[in-house]
Amino acid sequence: MIEYVGIHKSFDIPVLQGVDLDVATGEMLSIVGPSGTGKSVLLKTTNGLLEPDRGDVRVDGESVFASDAARERIRRKVGYVFQYAALFDSMSVYENVRAGLPGHQARFDSRDVVHQVCAALEDVNLDPQLVLEKLPSELSGGMRKRVGVARAIVGRPEILLYDEPVTGLDPVNSAAVSRLIVEIRERTGVTSILVTHDVEQALEISDRVALLEGGRLRFVGSPNEFRASDDPVVRAFADRRAAAEAALGVDVDGKQGKGEKP
Amino acid sequence: MTAMVERAIVGSLAPIGRTLEAVSRHAGQLWLLLSRVALATARGRIALRDVMVQLHAIGVESVPLVCVTAVLSGVVTSQQGGYQFTGSVPLYVLGSVVTASIVLELGPVMTAVVLIGRVGARITAELGTMKVSEQIDALHALGRDPVAVLAGPRMLAGVIAMPLLVGLADCVGIYAGMLAARVSVGLGTDSFFYGARVFWHSWDLLYSITKGVVFGFLIPFISVHMGLETRGGAEGVGRSTTSAVVLMILSVLLMDATFPPLFLE
Repeated sequence: MIEYVGIHKSFDIPVLQGVDLDVATGEMLSIVGPSGTGKSVLLKTTNGLLEPDRGDVRVDGESVFASDAARERIRRKVGYVFQYAALFDSMSVYENVRAGLPGHQARFDSRDVVHQVCAALEDVNLDPQLVLEKLPSELSGGMRKRVGVARAIVGRPEILLYDEPVTGLDPVNSAAVSRLIVEIRERTGVTSILVTHDVEQALEISDRVALLEGGRLRFVGSPNEFRASDDPVVRAFADRRAAAEAALGVDVDGKQGKGEKP
Repeated sequence: MTAMVERAIVGSLAPIGRTLEAVSRHAGQLWLLLSRVALATARGRIALRDVMVQLHAIGVESVPLVCVTAVLSGVVTSQQGGYQFTGSVPLYVLGSVVTASIVLELGPVMTAVVLIGRVGARITAELGTMKVSEQIDALHALGRDPVAVLAGPRMLAGVIAMPLLVGLADCVGIYAGMLAARVSVGLGTDSFFYGARVFWHSWDLLYSITKGVVFGFLIPFISVHMGLETRGGAEGVGRSTTSAVVLMILSVLLMDATFPPLFLE
């Protein structure tokens, strides 16, 4: 259970202005909203990467900000998938994924460690034999994202946080990452919070969707409630994709392949 | 009219205020970084393997450039001294001038300049890039302390490697100066070292090595701090690196200027 209680955060200008939100154990919640509304900021408070100016975040009843020890305990429960994967440039794929293991396993090799790293890579549909020794710079964007997911899940976290996991990916890779998120959740029952611009993705894979607007939660509910909402902001956001497609006369997913890497 | 005067006063004071605010902020963050590195070291959270890797990068890989710089420093000092002393001062004094110049000043300072360019700038750019690409956040998220993993090993390696490099630069510089004296003014090895011994104080070597320790602390300390404080993408990394180099050069020269009144009088 994750509880966000009255979260306020400013960076010169207010970003979050009193966000209250609960995420149940095993639930998949997507946070959507326009750019700059604090979605990623809210996500980063979950494991203490950012500290709110006011308010608190509690994981299984324990405040993330109670002490350094509490934050470390909570971080061990949480896997974090960064927007651009944030793989360590100077490390191989193997070392990157190994870094996600707890304690001394993250630094030393053993048969068990190699097995866990390979299993995590297979879980994200990557062939360990092909990628294990590669550097992040030698991978495609989609593969980097998947390695980022492998690093997040290798330590078997209870909570997975995804920060814009499909940003910058072509439709094929985007769909593959979405499938992966669903598979991981179904296989492990992990509590998942997904920050995304892609409303369609959020509506397809989530139990609940939260719309953040102007630093406040505008809507929290099931995908069906989201689609049926009369709230003009929710409607505008839900219809954005269709509106964009109509305005541009193209498929905004870029299915026509314009400018996209295969 | 009054409003214009007020605006003019505020306009002239604002940059001073901003500068003071920035200096205070950096001072606070430097103190915090130092405390956290000290704490991580005391708690044994800095891996020896990481320190060894940095010792190789900072120390071993700097040896060729440090040697070249030391050779040039020794040769130039010797040639210039020889030009000035010929016909006016006994030439064996050249041995003392070269030795004292290298050991007291050129060895430590030129080695520091080499390390600022080769190591300090690299550390700031490396950590700055990690910062803007969320790799530092990733370390936090994985339960790793960036101070223990990144800052501590670099600072410890700097403090260990720099005095050794200064010692090497001193030896190489003196030897190069001796050879240059022989070639340029025909001063023999015995006369050169006689001159060096006449005015030699054993304290001088400790003075040189102490400078090495201080500079070896300052360079990674400032570069790590500037790297970890980087904001704003590739441009931010460039800005941080430039600021770090300027700050490191100024700090080294400032510390260098405080050494003689503190230790040589």
